[in-house]
Amino acid sequence: MFNNLIARAIVPVTIAVTGFVVFGCILLYTFIKSDMTDEAILHVDNLAETVSKSARYAMMQDDRESLRNIVSNVGTLTDVGQIRIYDQGGRIRFSGNPEETAAGSTSAEIDPWVSRMMEPGYAERTKTHHDIGGGSGLISVSIPILNEPKCSTAACHFHAANEPVLGFLTLGISSKPLEKTLDLLRSRMIIFSVMVLFLTVGGVAALLRMNLFLPILRLTYCAGQAVQGVRAKDLPKADNKLGSLERDFRQLVQQRDDALQGWQTTGSAQADTGNGSTIDSRLGNKDAGHQPAEAAGPGQNP
Amino acid sequence: MPDINPLRRQVQAKIRKLELLSSSGLWVLALFTALSIGASRDFDFFPDFSPEIHKMLGAAPPTNFINWALVLYGFSAIIMVLTQMTGSKRPRGAFAHFGYLSAFYAFYHFSGDLQENLWAIFTVGMTILSLQSYHVWNYYKDKIREEQEILAELDKLLED
Repeated sequence: MFNNLIARAIVPVTIAVTGFVVFGCILLYTFIKSDMTDEAILHVDNLAETVSKSARYAMMQDDRESLRNIVSNVGTLTDVGQIRIYDQGGRIRFSGNPEETAAGSTSAEIDPWVSRMMEPGYAERTKTHHDIGGGSGLISVSIPILNEPKCSTAACHFHAANEPVLGFLTLGISSKPLEKTLDLLRSRMIIFSVMVLFLTVGGVAALLRMNLFLPILRLTYCAGQAVQGVRAKDLPKADNKLGSLERDFRQLVQQRDDALQGWQTTGSAQADTGNGSTIDSRLGNKDAGHQPAEAAGPGQNP
Repeated sequence: MPDINPLRRQVQAKIRKLELLSSSGLWVLALFTALSIGASRDFDFFPDFSPEIHKMLGAAPPTNFINWALVLYGFSAIIMVLTQMTGSKRPRGAFAHFGYLSAFYAFYHFSGDLQENLWAIFTVGMTILSLQSYHVWNYYKDKIREEQEILAELDKLLED
């Protein structure tokens, strides 16, 4: 009975609390992941914008050495995985990795994602694009270097005014630090969920046992003792956690004791006629009469 | 004494019906698991909607709104099932919950963020439907016990 009662009390609470905590953790993890990814994109955008502005200035000055230096320096930063400046045709002109420039590699050979954006017919050629969670393990941005009047009219330059895009800058930062932080967050959330589960189940079980099951077990023990003939005053003391149920039970036992005593008093006058045995048989008491608690045995008290 | 055999048969039929109903929660759970497996494949076994239907449906709500709606739904659904349990009320609404959860899968699918939020819907769905299933099982087991007691009384009458 108690096992069933405990299960009935604990199972729904455990399912509800654990389920909602796990759900909350998953949703929280999704929110945090999204926020951190947005933050990483903002970081890579800012870095790319800075390089783009510096590159534009260097190009206006026709200072290719400075531009090479800027790209090379940014490429040495620990979290920067790649930095490249392509021309309109998709050939690498500047790169954080000088070997790529020396080999004259093209976007199609190195980075298919960027290559698609450089196709002349691509509708969103003049827009900024991001690549998150691709196979490269980088959070990348591709910024088109757009043609401007002061650029197309510069003496050093040969671009026509009707060419909207002069080239592309791609910059990618490693997503490993972000993944590492998210892994750490995930493991902490799992530990937190397990702790909540144990605390909930343990707390509910302890409270139920203390406030409900132990008083019921105590009352069951008292009822067993009373059935075996123990008098109300000899029963173990009540803790009053069950309120009127306990009081009413003791009152019933007291009433039985009084009735029994009355029968015995009136019956003593007719003791010779053997009425005492009738009383005992009516009460269904095989031990024929009261017993002190010690004599009644341990009962079922845990 | 009137013939009590028809009454016995009636009680036995009721017990069989209640036994069937007591496992209905598990059927809904199984259905939801199957739906979740489909969702994990991004419902690739369904044909794609035509651009006209997409246009008619309009743009999907922002993922953030769907997330908050899911939190609100999950919280209120759990409270609702727990209230039903404490009140020993007849369990109802398992299929409605299945419908709501399917709608969440559909919303996330159309907003393009289903894979990111799949585990969130799956967890909240399993929680709600497990609670509901537990309530269904307990409720109908109690009813079966009552009917079995009636049957035992009828058997005693037959023996007498």
